Amino acid sequence: MESLRLLSVDSSDRGSQRCRLGPGLMSSLGLRLGSPLLVSLPGGSCLCTAWPRPDLAEGFLQMDLKCFTPSLVSGLPAHLSLDTAQLSPAPCTKLKSVKATVVVRSLDFKKNTNSSLVHELVKDMLAGVYVHKEFVINLEDFNTDIRYVAVQGISPKSAAAGVITSKTGLEIAEIQTVQHYMSRLQDQHTPPLGGLEEVSASLREMLQLPLLYPNTLTSLGVSCPRGVLLVGPPGVGKTVLVRRVVMEVGASLVVVRGPEVVGSRPGESEETLRAVFERARSAAEEGPCVLFLDELDSLFPKRSGSSAPENRLVAQLLTLMDGMSRSDRFLIVGATNRPDSLDPALRRPGRFDREVIIGAPTLLQRKAILSVLCERMPVGPTVNIAELAQITTGYVGADLSALCREAAMHALRENVKGSGEQVVDMKHFQEALKLVGPSCLRGSLGRTEISPVLWEQIGGLEEVKTKLRQSIEWPMRHPEAFVRLGLCRPRGVLLYGPPGCAKTTLVKAAATSSHCAFLSVSGADLYSPYVGDSEKALAQLFRQARACAPCVLFLDEIDSLIGSRSDVGTPNSVQTRLLSVLLNEMDGIGLKTVERRGADKVLQAEGVEQSRTDDELDCQEVCNKDVMVVAATNRPSCIDSALLRPGRLDHIIYVPPPDLQARLAILKVCTKAMPVDSHVCLEELASKTKLYSGADLENLCKEAALLALLEENMEASSIQQTHFLRSISRMSPSLTAQQISSYLIPHQ
Amino acid sequence: MSLQGAVRRSFVALRDQRAAWRSVLEECDPLMESLGNLGEQMNALSRVRVSDTPLRAFPDLQERLQFQLLQAVDLLLQRLRDRMSCLQSIRDSVGGHVSAALQLYQDSADGLDVAVATQRSSVAPSLADMLEWLQDAERFYRRFLQRKTLLLTLRRDDRAQLEGAAKAWRSLDSPDAEQQITDNLCRLAFFLESQ
Repeated sequence: MESLRLLSVDSSDRGSQRCRLGPGLMSSLGLRLGSPLLVSLPGGSCLCTAWPRPDLAEGFLQMDLKCFTPSLVSGLPAHLSLDTAQLSPAPCTKLKSVKATVVVRSLDFKKNTNSSLVHELVKDMLAGVYVHKEFVINLEDFNTDIRYVAVQGISPKSAAAGVITSKTGLEIAEIQTVQHYMSRLQDQHTPPLGGLEEVSASLREMLQLPLLYPNTLTSLGVSCPRGVLLVGPPGVGKTVLVRRVVMEVGASLVVVRGPEVVGSRPGESEETLRAVFERARSAAEEGPCVLFLDELDSLFPKRSGSSAPENRLVAQLLTLMDGMSRSDRFLIVGATNRPDSLDPALRRPGRFDREVIIGAPTLLQRKAILSVLCERMPVGPTVNIAELAQITTGYVGADLSALCREAAMHALRENVKGSGEQVVDMKHFQEALKLVGPSCLRGSLGRTEISPVLWEQIGGLEEVKTKLRQSIEWPMRHPEAFVRLGLCRPRGVLLYGPPGCAKTTLVKAAATSSHCAFLSVSGADLYSPYVGDSEKALAQLFRQARACAPCVLFLDEIDSLIGSRSDVGTPNSVQTRLLSVLLNEMDGIGLKTVERRGADKVLQAEGVEQSRTDDELDCQEVCNKDVMVVAATNRPSCIDSALLRPGRLDHIIYVPPPDLQARLAILKVCTKAMPVDSHVCLEELASKTKLYSGADLENLCKEAALLALLEENMEASSIQQTHFLRSISRMSPSLTAQQISSYLIPHQ
Repeated sequence: MSLQGAVRRSFVALRDQRAAWRSVLEECDPLMESLGNLGEQMNALSRVRVSDTPLRAFPDLQERLQFQLLQAVDLLLQRLRDRMSCLQSIRDSVGGHVSAALQLYQDSADGLDVAVATQRSSVAPSLADMLEWLQDAERFYRRFLQRKTLLLTLRRDDRAQLEGAAKAWRSLDSPDAEQQITDNLCRLAFFLESQ
């Protein structure tokens, strides 16, 4: 196959519908001078007439785009090379009639020109042009207000393409402006949305009601809503939602981007804003229209006392929104992720009437989003979307699409190495999960990378493990059982016990086993030299944790982090203020409205049959919408009593120092990786290490190994019993009986 | 060869019509000038307040003047439209010749290979070139639709548009394309005389 290089068209050929080829290629394709030729290009195709190149050279192709598929309106990509198989002669007959939409440049022209004149002109312009059904004809070379003609149908119907002669009838179905036509064209390519059905339904209703039933609304004496404010964290799909809904309703969209409006000269920004409203108004005359102000907070911040230029811009927007008369049928949609920094005057009925809050997606929403994203990917049978949705807590729509992209990239990389069919498997998703993190946790204080710890790696403490599993793992694994028994997930767990008894490790294991987001904070993160900063940081932490619930928030050494009010001395210290924040966040009066997620759905009892997995996910959502606080301390007496009541830290678990059995188990775990001599009796060691904590035992094993190395001069191959015994004799336990008894007294 | 003859006839017709085309356009130019002038007068009239001038003694002066100007505009437009129909007839005749030549080629194309059609000689360009030039010329004459659109969408009450009409008219001249036709005719001199 010979390849042809596509060159840009000569200026003298512009508007001629010619396609310049080498004469040799023309005769091999059986083409005459001026025969119609269908060229298929990446992303569309084009109908032109074949002419030999003036220099008769082969291997090049120059096309004048006159009649082409609508997807090529924006022009051809540069540096394209085609195959000769992409050219095919198109049989053309003389057409009897053509039905078409005329696209004109300005609304003025459409209004002031009568249709018979347009008909006459278009007919004259189209004479001699080869057309294909559902293609667009470019009339820009005439340099009039008539820009394009979109062919809808041709007669005779059996033909796909034909030539328009002076006898061909022309029927004009509609006259549109270029802007309107382009926006309709663009919208056909937007991907569908997942998980935003409810929000988009309410938005659609607002757009459609005044259009479908204008009389009903006027008879009710109400004016239709004019403004909607979309609030939500970045990446949840506010912008995509608006574009999608606008496309579904068939409205035109006027987008305002922040930097476009703001000008350098005084008064310039206001002028641009007025022009934007004027544009929306003229677009609204053609059909429904949405004026979309993205990133509203940066454009219209709170007005400050000084005469900042933003103040005037805010004032201009307020007057423009008030000045919209009832006949202006366009809707203003604003989107922001920081509603608090908006000017309060904007957020009243009559301006932004409604506020729609789009929170971070819930489990079911994530599942919907993932299934939409995976629809277009060749997904292997191993991929379980429900499971993926469970793992991806805290991921917003943008994260999920990044995740899918990354997974596809992994599959691609693998495929390049070997060969085989393109399938994205679960393992690719798992690889991608390591790279793509949830964006609502990005920049968060407590985001920690933990090395996974399995329950088996912790020796002994079976009772404590069971309790922890009950409160963390069970609600995730068996939500339906919890719902059945009317249980809800505990709000918080306090682990207390002497130091070195695996409290932190237990929490790590719990976080590993339950697939939820895990945040951990220390005093270094929270404390700040500024008054009020620490409290703000803690509240922010809770907000982020709630956004990606279910989430475990781990406060290690809570006694020093959060003080107690009974402490004498400083009644108004940072610790006390932090305590009040914590109390409020754990069991406060409610959430901020901005943090709403999903819809207020109770467990459905509707007749709709739902699959079991769906039901299960639903249960899980109901149970796990909160943040669980896990705290650890070794001074339980220093904790404020208000924190310890049920509803806050419900489960108070004592992590005891290991008893004989536990010590044995710990020793087994610790010596698993060590070459221990077969004569070593771990039972004896366990009985000799009373009052040793887990950390002590681990240390003991290390000491014994070091001792073995020391004695046998780096050539030790196993550790003997004597090494253990000697290191026991050198060490002393870190716990004392008195210390242990002090833990037992206040809680018994 | 009859195809050669048809092409030759088309070019001869094109050469003859070219002068007529130019003369009609030249007639149009002063008319457009006066149209712009009228627009200016109307503009001036709308700005002046007759009641503040000594002319206030004449009743309804402003309306009468306005009416007269509009009448003049109508007259001018009428004359321009007559010229347009002249242009249209020229274009139709050129278009008729061109499409007849192309049709003749289509009918006899089966016996005519592309290689033969692209053969050039020292005295005559190739058939492909000539057909292409004919099409180009037809396309050039079809551009008069721009002028037609301009005139037909002109509204008498839009003073700014009237004033700018002359300028817009002049901007529609495309001397390059016209020169191209002249050049092509020069290249064909031997061919046209060879009959």
